[in-house]
Amino acid sequence: MCPDGARAVLVVDDGTVLPVDVPPTHDVPAVVAAVVGTAADRVGPDALRAVTVDVSAMLLDAVVRAETSLPEVAVVRIVPRPAGDPELARSPARLVERLISHRWTVAGGHDLLGNELRPLDEACLVAVCAELVATDVRHLAVVAAGSQGRPEHERAVADAVQAAVPGARISAASDFGGQGLIAREATVVLDCTLGQLTDALLTTWEAALDQHAPGVPLRVARGDGGFSTPSRVRALPSVTLGAADAAELRGAAHVARHEDCRVLLRRPDGQVAGDVRRGLPVVRSAQLVELGTALVVPTAVLAPEPGGADGGEVLRVTDVPLVVVDGPPFERVCVGAATSQPTGWVDEIAYIESAEHLAGARREAEERAAAMVTANGAAPGTSYLIESSIVAVPYSPSGTVRIRVRVAGASEVPAAAVPEPAGSAA
Amino acid sequence: MSTAQAGTTGGYLGAISSISADDVPALYQGAKFYSPAVGEADKSALTAWLAGLLDRNGPVALRRPEAMPPDTRCVSLCVIGSGSAMADLPPSGDEFQLAVQRIEQLQGQPFGAVYPLAAATVSALVPVVAAAQLGVPLLDADGMGRTYALIHHTSMYLAGLSPAPLVAHGPTGESVLIEVTIGPRADRLLRANVDTLGGWAALAAYPTTAGALRRAALPGTVSRLLNVGRLLLERPTPDVLVARLAAINGCSRIGRGRIVELEHLSRPNDVTVPGHPSSLVLEESDGQRRQLRLELRSEIVAVFADGRLVAAAPDLLSLFDVSRGEIASLDSLEPGDLLDVLVTPADAVWYSAEGMAMVGLGSHGIGLDHPRRR
Repeated sequence: MCPDGARAVLVVDDGTVLPVDVPPTHDVPAVVAAVVGTAADRVGPDALRAVTVDVSAMLLDAVVRAETSLPEVAVVRIVPRPAGDPELARSPARLVERLISHRWTVAGGHDLLGNELRPLDEACLVAVCAELVATDVRHLAVVAAGSQGRPEHERAVADAVQAAVPGARISAASDFGGQGLIAREATVVLDCTLGQLTDALLTTWEAALDQHAPGVPLRVARGDGGFSTPSRVRALPSVTLGAADAAELRGAAHVARHEDCRVLLRRPDGQVAGDVRRGLPVVRSAQLVELGTALVVPTAVLAPEPGGADGGEVLRVTDVPLVVVDGPPFERVCVGAATSQPTGWVDEIAYIESAEHLAGARREAEERAAAMVTANGAAPGTSYLIESSIVAVPYSPSGTVRIRVRVAGASEVPAAAVPEPAGSAA
Repeated sequence: MSTAQAGTTGGYLGAISSISADDVPALYQGAKFYSPAVGEADKSALTAWLAGLLDRNGPVALRRPEAMPPDTRCVSLCVIGSGSAMADLPPSGDEFQLAVQRIEQLQGQPFGAVYPLAAATVSALVPVVAAAQLGVPLLDADGMGRTYALIHHTSMYLAGLSPAPLVAHGPTGESVLIEVTIGPRADRLLRANVDTLGGWAALAAYPTTAGALRRAALPGTVSRLLNVGRLLLERPTPDVLVARLAAINGCSRIGRGRIVELEHLSRPNDVTVPGHPSSLVLEESDGQRRQLRLELRSEIVAVFADGRLVAAAPDLLSLFDVSRGEIASLDSLEPGDLLDVLVTPADAVWYSAEGMAMVGLGSHGIGLDHPRRR
């Protein structure tokens, strides 16, 4: 779904991509009706298994164009003391900072290993709540130093604000984990401001599905190349950011029939390249180019590729097949979204003292990622590990490691148990 | 804009006379090359902070120690602790300035210049921050020419200068003053305090004079770092990059391969040294198809090819992600990444008997002769 309208393709279980004859339109019921009609005509009655929608381009467009319909956000940073330099007091990303109407710092926070650096300043929190009540801002992003491991201070602030402003939408950074206070702050600010728009978009799609294909589930494409359920995305809209890039990589690999490849994508600012491994785009918690700041939700890694235009010389080195895409991206994005799986991601700091402790920390992270995958729509028991890496954190106390785990699952029972032809659309 | 004075008044290739906001991206890239410990989590905040300071206060003058009056008092600066901790607990902004001023108060004399304790990692950026805040020049010299684990692993210490008195000022607003007579004691005393200060701190150490630094510091390392950073910003192909780096700092490529394994606690652990031993295994994707095994601490300390030691500390060992065209940081490695393993000779002092004893393979528990000595 793009600002110029929604389009769709149908992907059959055998991987065949069927076009859906509908022009770009904001008439979502018309798109869904066309999908249902195509599925019935080309695959069979009741063949449509699911619809996956990518709303990331709509959300990003709203942020970039500074749509007035996006609510302003107040930010509470919980750190031992406030920033004294103006650059350190705000987000380095202009697009993020302009969403923020009020900022407060409350003394508190923990270090990366969970040690409290300051008790939460309760008196300051009371004053902040009083000031917040006096404004008309009802969207609050809360980020605390060390909240990935110890969310207590964030929760205390969220509870106090909820009590003072019962209708407030509150996004807390500990819901996302990840590294870096500024990246975590940007993620929750976007999460907070995009909630209403995300809800409106998903409600439209759910209503259209109810009308034309009752019982067919709606899935929402994520920035890591997977999908999640509408309820999860309503709670954490930021997980959709970057979904179009990830889906396009996956879709290009699917069309080219490569499990492992490098895909060259055309962008207005030049060509970029991304990798696909085992059918999934390579992702990191990294900077989303359009926003100018890092986020802690994983997105496709896209590197500038100055060569390779029009199939010419490629300057970056790769030892996997190169896929040079052509034409508008929408079909690849739709294919990538339709063929996606439920996914989960954990990125955290842990402290280990022995090989046994390390194995336990890894196992626990993998189990949590598997639980996330189930929450994102995977059938129980279908989750499997995509990537698991543990690296020592340089210049930290010996034993400090960063654990990253990526898990995927299947949304259905295995295909062999579903006898009728089936398809899914995006 | 800064001024490049290749081979003229600076006396060495690519000497730079000032650092402006325009130079910050190159400074960051060069800092990544000289230490693969630099991650991306705090990049945008740190570079915005430094660029903002340089915009408001004007460019920082970069001076060789020889260009300063010999009695000019100088103090080194670095970030002690982890970049990850700093990313999660960003500076308030006054930590480095206050660390310097605390030593000034103690000694009753102002400093006329600052210099990097290690021109690499975020420690390459923060002396520029302090210079901009204090309105003093930055010396084009440092104590490591890369990074080593402990604060007495410096050319100043090898030359007989004391790191003390030193001050660590934390993001919590608290600070620690350490006065010792035996250099290595300073690091031991400091580490425990750094953890309590939040995992990182602004460190001001090695107060001395420009005259002393003429013989004790490694000259030209800030200019060198900036030149490397400018090259990296051009995002050349891997082959062009290595060829051009060779002209700047003698860099060469050991091999290219995909990560197939990350191992932890793979060697005996010394808990007094930050970062724990781990290993990285790459399968070479071309050439001799060797297996490259990299031994890591907070830096890469050794590279074995099919079991044979081919490069080792104090060599600077770096990883270049050839798919993305950028230096790979140790905290972002994942199986499947395609990397060039690069080796750059360290500054000559580190190959002396004293330097090798301090930062060579033996200091990492690997009892093998350095490849350059065979």
